[in-house]
Amino acid sequence: MTKVQLNAVRKQFGAFVAIENIDLDIESGELVALLGPSGCGKTTTLRMIAGLERPSAGAILFDGKDVSEQPVQDRNVGMVFQRYALFPHMTVEKNVTFGLSVRGTPREEIGARLEEILDVVQLTQFRHRFPAQLSGGQMQRVAIARTLITKPSVLMMDEPLANLDTKLRGEMRRFIRDLQQRFGITTIFVTHDQVEAMELADRVAVIFNGHLAQYDAPAKLYQQPASLDVADFMGASNIVPGRMKSDDLVETAIGEIRVAPRAGFETGKDVQVMLRGEAVDLLTDPPAQGGVAGRVVARDFFGASVNYSVDCGTHQITVSEQARRLVDVGTSVRLNIDPERVWLL
Amino acid sequence: MAKKFNIALSSRLSPFQKFYLLVIAGFILGPFIPLVIQSFAFRWAWPDLLPGTWWLEQREKAMAPLAWDYVLSPYSRVWEATVNTVFIGTIVTAICLAICLPAARVLAREKFRGKSAFEFFLSLPLIVPEAAIGIALLMMFIRLGLAGSYVGIILAHLIPTIPYMVRMLTAVYQGLGRDFEEQAMILGANRWQVLRLVTLPMLLPGVVAGALFTFLVSTNIFLLTFFLGQGQIVTLPTLLFSKIAGGTLDASAAGITLIVTLPGIILLIISERFIKEEAFGKGFGN
Repeated sequence: MTKVQLNAVRKQFGAFVAIENIDLDIESGELVALLGPSGCGKTTTLRMIAGLERPSAGAILFDGKDVSEQPVQDRNVGMVFQRYALFPHMTVEKNVTFGLSVRGTPREEIGARLEEILDVVQLTQFRHRFPAQLSGGQMQRVAIARTLITKPSVLMMDEPLANLDTKLRGEMRRFIRDLQQRFGITTIFVTHDQVEAMELADRVAVIFNGHLAQYDAPAKLYQQPASLDVADFMGASNIVPGRMKSDDLVETAIGEIRVAPRAGFETGKDVQVMLRGEAVDLLTDPPAQGGVAGRVVARDFFGASVNYSVDCGTHQITVSEQARRLVDVGTSVRLNIDPERVWLL
Repeated sequence: MAKKFNIALSSRLSPFQKFYLLVIAGFILGPFIPLVIQSFAFRWAWPDLLPGTWWLEQREKAMAPLAWDYVLSPYSRVWEATVNTVFIGTIVTAICLAICLPAARVLAREKFRGKSAFEFFLSLPLIVPEAAIGIALLMMFIRLGLAGSYVGIILAHLIPTIPYMVRMLTAVYQGLGRDFEEQAMILGANRWQVLRLVTLPMLLPGVVAGALFTFLVSTNIFLLTFFLGQGQIVTLPTLLFSKIAGGTLDASAAGITLIVTLPGIILLIISERFIKEEAFGKGFGN
């Protein structure tokens, strides 16, 4: 159980600034994702926490103690690399016990902890295999076991679900979550995939160009992004510019949209209106009034869900709903939007 | 294993491919045929295509084939030359590895100013004629008292072997991601443990190939050994040269030539099995 803090951490490679003054507090036992496009500095941040890179300025604290200058071997962290980095010339057993044997742990203790951890990751029957003889999911479990057996104070993972197929992804997600809760270990992982971040993390730190753009719970990040960039990165497709007509009504190019009043958004202010596709109701029976008029121009069927592109004049709005019914392309519709689910930027 | 290989060969190759393989085999093995014949001849005079008298026909006069009788006797100095060759080759390979492993690591992973110029510079010893290097070195070594010593020869052998070794190991290092070493460090391994338990075993196939190549180059160097050995240190190539310098290939020279190829063949077989079974068979591949 370790609390991790980054205080004004900065990292420079020559003239290139990879990370610009990041402050980040990760609570003990929390599962946090560092999310951002490739090259944004999230991997550098992770490597600094691990001790593989030294910050150019600022401090990294574990439980309030500055570890910035501590070499990686003494930091007692764990890292699962994206491609697992299992030692190809060692069996599963040798891979898992590597950390303990280089630290000079007594043989009996290594044996006992090996049995325990192999049981946890359900790899007992594969103990004598070489990494090349394992599937992707098994390799990842070996990598996790190899790290957990050393009882690290912080666990780090680089794109933990990226190399797995859809079915395995769900399985590993639950597995990682269970393990993390069971050991109560502070876990930080890096990803460029917002779905991966949301499905796994307690809190997500979005990083753009070396700056921390937002640090919040996944639901908040998804529904109430702090900036247009974050909204865009979180996959928001319906963003329409407009102007506040009153404190609960916005005039936009597609019509008037009713919103929940919010501080800082006074009458006359130019705003961006973000509508989440699943928060919009598609009404086919012409209602008396209200809502935004439009026409369905495209339909994408995904089995369980279906996405409609609705042409509302100057903008197309994407509406997503459960596939309980199918609305034909060309149908005139009205969009009904819950004011509480409209987000202003 | 060999049988399986043959079956696979005959069933999958077109006649043209088989013919091509045969031609290549002929090029490689062809030169050995006259040597083998010569070493078992009693008399082989020009212009006969085959020896006029074979050793078998003259068994009562000679207990063993003449060539082999001489080669295996102490007078030929073949044993002394073999020991020298293997000894020098082993030391050269070890020193070469110790120099080239760190160098290759830097060349494969770091970027620095003038790197490409440096890489070109590394190949220069392969471009400058060996005779020029040899004469220049001899002048210096005579003054330093290294001429005619093992140290002198070993130093000279490092000149043509280092460029090859650095290049091979650089390629090997490029194939080894940093992940593995970083992972080992995170797990608590110190630098020596990382090198011994992770880096070296993973580099092993490449290191063995590089070492083998270096050893073979070293055991085949004639000119540098000849100049710097000053006739006091006999290796297989210099011994052979003294036999064929007259311009004829007599029976004893043929025997020595065959002996000269032995260390290389033995090493090739060992390393072939070693690389396949130990390093690749279990950990890498499929």
